Amino acid sequence: MSTNLALVDPVVAPSRAPRPDSVRPERQRPELVEVTPTKAQRRARPRVAYAIVAIAALGLLLLAQLGISMALSQGAYTLSSLKTEQTGLTRTQASLSEGLKVLESPQNLARNAQALGMIANSTPVYLDPKTGTVYGTPTPATPEEATGNTANQVPNSLLGDVPLAARPGDTATSKENSAAAPAAAAAAPAASPAAAAPAAAAPAAAADTEKAGASSASDQPSAKSSVESDANQLQAPTTR
Amino acid sequence: MTKTLRNRRLRYSVVMIAVIALVAVFVVRLVDIQVVQADELSQAAESKRSIPVTLYGTRGTIVDRDGTALAESVVRYNITTSPRLVKSFEGKLGGTRVKDVSVDQALSAIAKASGGDVATMQKNIAADPKSDFAYLVKGIDVAHYEAVRALQVPWLYPEQQAARSYPTGAATGNVTGFMGTDGAQAGLELAYQKCLAGTNGSETYERGEDGVQLPGSTVTQKRAKDGGTLVTTIDSDLQYMASQDIADAAQQLKAESATATVVNAKTGEVLAVADYPTVDPNDVDATKDPGAYGSRALTAAYEPGSTIKAAIAAALIDKGLASPTTQAVVPYSRTFPWGGTIHDSEFHPTENLTLTGILRDSSNVGITELGSKLTTQQRYDVMREFGLFEPEPAIDYPGQPTMNYGASPQWDKQTDINSMFGQGISTTAMQVSSIYQTLANQGVRIPLHMVKGCQTEDGKTIDAPDVQSKRVVSAAAATQTVDMLQSVVTGGTLVGMKPISGYNIAAKTGTAEVADGAKGYGADRIISVAGMAPAEDPQYVVTVTFTKPQTTKWSSGAAPAFRTLMSQVLEKYRVAPSTTQARTYPSTW
Repeated sequence: MSTNLALVDPVVAPSRAPRPDSVRPERQRPELVEVTPTKAQRRARPRVAYAIVAIAALGLLLLAQLGISMALSQGAYTLSSLKTEQTGLTRTQASLSEGLKVLESPQNLARNAQALGMIANSTPVYLDPKTGTVYGTPTPATPEEATGNTANQVPNSLLGDVPLAARPGDTATSKENSAAAPAAAAAAPAASPAAAAPAAAAPAAAADTEKAGASSASDQPSAKSSVESDANQLQAPTTR
Repeated sequence: MTKTLRNRRLRYSVVMIAVIALVAVFVVRLVDIQVVQADELSQAAESKRSIPVTLYGTRGTIVDRDGTALAESVVRYNITTSPRLVKSFEGKLGGTRVKDVSVDQALSAIAKASGGDVATMQKNIAADPKSDFAYLVKGIDVAHYEAVRALQVPWLYPEQQAARSYPTGAATGNVTGFMGTDGAQAGLELAYQKCLAGTNGSETYERGEDGVQLPGSTVTQKRAKDGGTLVTTIDSDLQYMASQDIADAAQQLKAESATATVVNAKTGEVLAVADYPTVDPNDVDATKDPGAYGSRALTAAYEPGSTIKAAIAAALIDKGLASPTTQAVVPYSRTFPWGGTIHDSEFHPTENLTLTGILRDSSNVGITELGSKLTTQQRYDVMREFGLFEPEPAIDYPGQPTMNYGASPQWDKQTDINSMFGQGISTTAMQVSSIYQTLANQGVRIPLHMVKGCQTEDGKTIDAPDVQSKRVVSAAAATQTVDMLQSVVTGGTLVGMKPISGYNIAAKTGTAEVADGAKGYGADRIISVAGMAPAEDPQYVVTVTFTKPQTTKWSSGAAPAFRTLMSQVLEKYRVAPSTTQARTYPSTW
C-alpha cells in the first residue's frame, strides 16, 4: 500500500491546486525516487502468509458454500422421501380411522351385540349409591320384551363387508373359548341370573350403609360399588 | 514530461470512459432484464421448472353432540388412463418376474386389485382409442388404490377425489343429507353449505431434473381453507335406537311412513329426529322414493289431531277460563247451527267430564265445548306462540313447509271448531314436539334446534341458532296440563301401554284423519303419541308418529314404539326415576 502511494502521488498532485513547496521537488524527479521503507512500512508490506491465509479463507468459504449447498440438496431429497412417506402414512391413518368409525357405528355395535346373544332389558333399574335406594322393579330381561332385539332396520351400506363378531364357541380356537362355549350357548337363561344379581346385592348393600352410620357414609358408596362391579365381573366370563 | 503526462491522462480517460460505458451497458441490460422484461422472463423460467399444486381445502365434518362423526370427508381415487398409450409392456405386474404383459392381462389385474369391472374398462378405452383420457375405475378407497399402484402399470394415472362418508349410515341420513356429483343435495349438508365447504388453495414449487423439489422454492399463492365443523345436538346412538324402533313398529303397523323426535325439555335441543323410511347417504340410489331423502319429521305437514288438545287446555287454564276440574256435560256428538257435526271417536253415552276427563278420553266434543270459551283469535294466537303456523325459527333445514298464515286465522266456522282437536290445521311432527317441550318446560318455549353451531378452522363459532326462550303460558297452567296428561297414561287412551317401571309419564295420543286431497277425509289415519317423563319434572319430550297404518287405525298402535323409545331415552340419560305418585285430578263429576 505504501509503495503505491509513493508512485501514484505525482499523478494525482498536478490535478490539484498548486501546492508550492512540498510538491514541487517530487514532481521534478518522480521516477527517480528510491523509496526506502521505514521499518514500520516494511512490516506493513504484504507477506505471502497473508495471501495464503486470504486464499485459504476464500477456498474454505467456497467449500463451506458447496458443503451447505450439497447438504441442502441432500436435505431436499430426504425431505422429498419423507414427504412421500408422510403422504402414505396419512393415507393409511385416514383409511384406518375411516374403518374404525364404521365399526363404531351404532348399527355395527347393535348387530354384534345381538350376534353375541345380548339383549337389552326394557325395564331399567337404578341403584342410588348414596342412599342405597333401588329405583324400579328389577325384572329379568327376556327376548320377547327386550328393546332393540330385532334385526337391524337402519341400513348402512358401509357395513356391507364388515364381518360380524363370532359368538364364542362358533370359532373355538383355544381351550378357554371352547370351555366357554356351552355357557354362551345357553345365553338366554344365563341372562336372568345376570340381571337378578345386582338386584339381590342391592338390599344387602343398603343394610351396610345403615350399619356404618353417618361417619363412614361417604366411604361406603365406593366400597359398595366395587362389590357391585365384582358381582358383575363374576358373571362376565360366562357371557364373554 | 508534460507529453507523457498528457498521454497518461488520456489513457486514463479512455479507460475510464470504457469502464463507464461498460457499466452503462450492464445497467441498461440489467434494467431491461430485471424491470422491463422481468415478468415474461421469470414466467418463462418458472414455467420450465415450477410445478403448480392445488392445495385441497377439506369439506368440514358434521358431528353429533359427543363429537361422533356423522359425515366426514374421505379421499377416494379415480384410476384414469390415456387410451393412446395403452399397450403391452414389460413389467412385473405385482409378481416377482419381469415378463411381457398384454393389455388384457394388465386390465384384469387392475380389475382384481381395484374391484372394478374389466368389461367397463375395455369399453371406456375402446370408446376413443386416440383420446388422452379415460376412466378405468372411479372412487376406489386407499387399500384398493395401493393395490393398483403396486401393479406398476406404466399407463395408469390415478387422480385424487374428495368423497363423503357417513359412518352412521341411514340412522342420521335424514339429518345430514348427502352429497351428489353437483355438491350438497339435502339435509344439513345443503343448509350449512357455507359452513362446511372448504376453499382450495394453490402453491408452486420448482423441481430439478430428477423431479426433486428445489429447497426453498415453495411459493404459496393461496392457503387452502378447510371447511368448518358443524356441531349438531343429535345423539347418534339415540337416533339409531329411535330409527330402529319406528322402523320395527312401522312395519308391524304396515304404515307408509313414521317419524320420531326426542327433545331435551330444558334446553330445546333435538336429540333425535328419526324417519322411516329413510335414506342411507352412503348409497342414495338404494332409496327409490325421493320423499325419503329428507326428514318428514321436519318437512311433512299433517293435521296433528288430538295432540293439539293439550295446547287448548293449557291456554284455557292460562287465561283463567278453566281449571283441571272444570265441569262439562259431554255428549257423543255435537251439531252446529250451520249444519256441521262433530263426534267423539268412540260412541259413549253423555258423560259428566272434567277438563282432565276430556283430555284423558280425548273427547272432541268436550274440548270444543270448553275451548269455545276462548275467542278464535285467542286460540289462534296461543297456537302461534306454541310455534305452529310458522317454520321452526331455529332449525335451518331445507324443505320445511313455508307457513304464511298471517296475523289472524282464515278459518271458516267449522275449521274454527275442528282446529281445537287438530283438524283443519297443519303442523310438522317437530312442531308438535315443540308444544310438548313448552308444556314440559313450565310454559316457556325454547325454539327447538338441532345445530349448536359451526366451528370454523380458526376456532370461531358461527351460525349458532338464535334460541330465545319465550313464555307461552303460565308455569301453573303448564304444570296443571302436564298433570292432567298423566291421566291419559294412568286411565285414558294410553291405559293399555305397559308402564315404564319407576317413571310417571304424561302423554297425549293423536288419531288424525288424513285429508284425501279432494274435499273430505279418507279412511287413513295418522296416529301419534307425544309425551314427556318424568311427569313431575319433565326432562325429555318424545313424539312418535305413524302415517297411514293399516293393521290398526287407533293411536294405541303408536304406544309401544313411544314406550320403547321413552324407556331408552330415560335409561340412556340416567334420568332419576319418579319418587312421587302420579298427580291427577278427578276425571268425572
